[in-house]
Amino acid sequence: MAATAAFDFRDDDRAPVLALSGDWTVDTISALESDLAEVSEKLKEGSVVDVGELGRFDVAGAYLIDRTFRDSPAGDKARIAIRGEHANAMRLLQAARKSYAGPAAPVRQTQGIKGFVEAVGRAMASVGEEIIELIGFFGETLVTMAALIANPRRLRMVSIVNVMEKAGLNALPIVMLLSFFIGMVISYLGARILGDFGASVFTVELVAFSMLREFAVVVTGVILAGRTNSAFTAEIGAMKMRQEIDAMRVMGIKPMEALVVPRVIAMLIMTPILTFAAMMSGIFGGLIVAWGELGVSPAMFFSRISETVPSQHFWVGFVKAPVFAITLAVIACKQGLSVGGDVGSLGSRVTTSVVQAIFMILLLDAIFALWFLEMNW
Amino acid sequence: MSENIAIRVRGLVTRFGTQTVHEGLDLDVRKGEILGVVGPSGTGKSVLLREIVGLDEATEGEITFPEADAEGRAPTMGVMFQDGALFSNLTVLENVEAPLREHTRVSRALREEIAGLKLAMAGLGPDSHHKRPAQISGGMRKRASVARAIALDPELLFLDEPTAGLDPIAAENFDRMTEELARSLGLTVFLVTHDLDTLHAICDRVAVLFKGKVVSIGTIPEITANAEGWVKEYFSGPRGRAATRGAAGG
Repeated sequence: MAATAAFDFRDDDRAPVLALSGDWTVDTISALESDLAEVSEKLKEGSVVDVGELGRFDVAGAYLIDRTFRDSPAGDKARIAIRGEHANAMRLLQAARKSYAGPAAPVRQTQGIKGFVEAVGRAMASVGEEIIELIGFFGETLVTMAALIANPRRLRMVSIVNVMEKAGLNALPIVMLLSFFIGMVISYLGARILGDFGASVFTVELVAFSMLREFAVVVTGVILAGRTNSAFTAEIGAMKMRQEIDAMRVMGIKPMEALVVPRVIAMLIMTPILTFAAMMSGIFGGLIVAWGELGVSPAMFFSRISETVPSQHFWVGFVKAPVFAITLAVIACKQGLSVGGDVGSLGSRVTTSVVQAIFMILLLDAIFALWFLEMNW
Repeated sequence: MSENIAIRVRGLVTRFGTQTVHEGLDLDVRKGEILGVVGPSGTGKSVLLREIVGLDEATEGEITFPEADAEGRAPTMGVMFQDGALFSNLTVLENVEAPLREHTRVSRALREEIAGLKLAMAGLGPDSHHKRPAQISGGMRKRASVARAIALDPELLFLDEPTAGLDPIAAENFDRMTEELARSLGLTVFLVTHDLDTLHAICDRVAVLFKGKVVSIGTIPEITANAEGWVKEYFSGPRGRAATRGAAGG
């Protein structure tokens, strides 16, 4: 076991002696730091270190001795004389002295109110930059897409289909399940609350209106924002970190063409399909509850929908799907390509990607809702 | 020879599925030496390193540390991975501090000073302390990684391809730094490399891995004296001859 580090400082002869005993290693020296600070004031030129009783010794121990001498009145030039036999004391003390590179550079840090104001300012400025960059990226994506559609042989069908499967088809069960639940909940609420006014039969309209116009497409968008955006950003970000994107560039492959456009196109195709599935399964959920709770038979449910719900409600919801799709995919790819060299930036970019995507979906949905209602659609 | 053996490998067999990497490999690393391990790509040099430090487990055979075992303790080790493997969300100084922070209780100020000293020993000055690994060059990352490996003064230092990807001058400086560190700190160094200059410049002995075994071990003159097959090709090919000339001339 490690023996406790100790020292004995004798100043009675002409040359002061610092006698070390026990183990002086990184595990043991912490207790001695403050005591040694007092010793260093008393050290004079010609002081001697006695290592005869010293046990294990390492660089940290050597550094502490060396620092004690450097802090002495003699300063950085204080020579360390050694007395006694030790396997590596001399060598380590020399190594510590030789490598000492002067006091460490202080970390630049602004604190207090100034630091806070500075941080807020930087955050605001970066939000502004981010918005401009995103708009720029969006434009670039559209231009590249237009160019590729004019020259469809350059479209990468394999990766489009691959993304369609991973990000679209595989999301189908969760999208349908969640909107099924939402349809049920709306139907329940309708049956209860409308029932109080004796209007429970309007539950059918409530379910159909809300699922078709809002819920199906928003639920799909939010699920895709969580599921697909994190995947896209992490994939592209990891490629960026491993210099795969640079490798593409030098080969003359544009990341925009190879990575961004296939994802955008795949999402443009799949999001409307998912939205449609969400609408159907949401209405089905509403139907189940209406049947059980209100005794509205499926046949009656559907005939009421076809009589009282005009198809424009379907289109009002459905046209949002491609808009959401392109927003999600562009945000995800943009964030992925902005990943820097370190792990921290990958994490923060994935987070930003998901948060921005959800934010944009709800914002766009609110704008759409205002617009459509004002237009009386 | 009755020298102290730091690492003893006996009858090591490593298989990945049907692929056999090591087939009854024996190796002794002496205390305080710098052992260079060479061999064609895919002969399991890095796997051997990973098995010795305990990251991978061998299929059969045993790896012991006689020196440390005799004292009834586990050997202390430091590893420099090929690409540095620095924690990218910490600064260079914090990377070196990390093992100190985990395993010792020195004060923060002293810990920073010790980390700074280790970085200086590895040849990195104070201007690099607060940079992130992504902001420094590959050579500096390797140096920072060595500084982190020696942060706790290990007995055994493992270096995986330390000079790969460095320019010749940087590689030579790195070799000199390794040797100086090993000699002044009394380290035992296990060095996996392809760099013939490193072998000539700093290795006390060289072990050649071929087809899952150590086919030859000793000083370079000893190995080249009765070399055949791959070993001969390796040391007496154009690159090998140039390195030999360089070592003899310099």
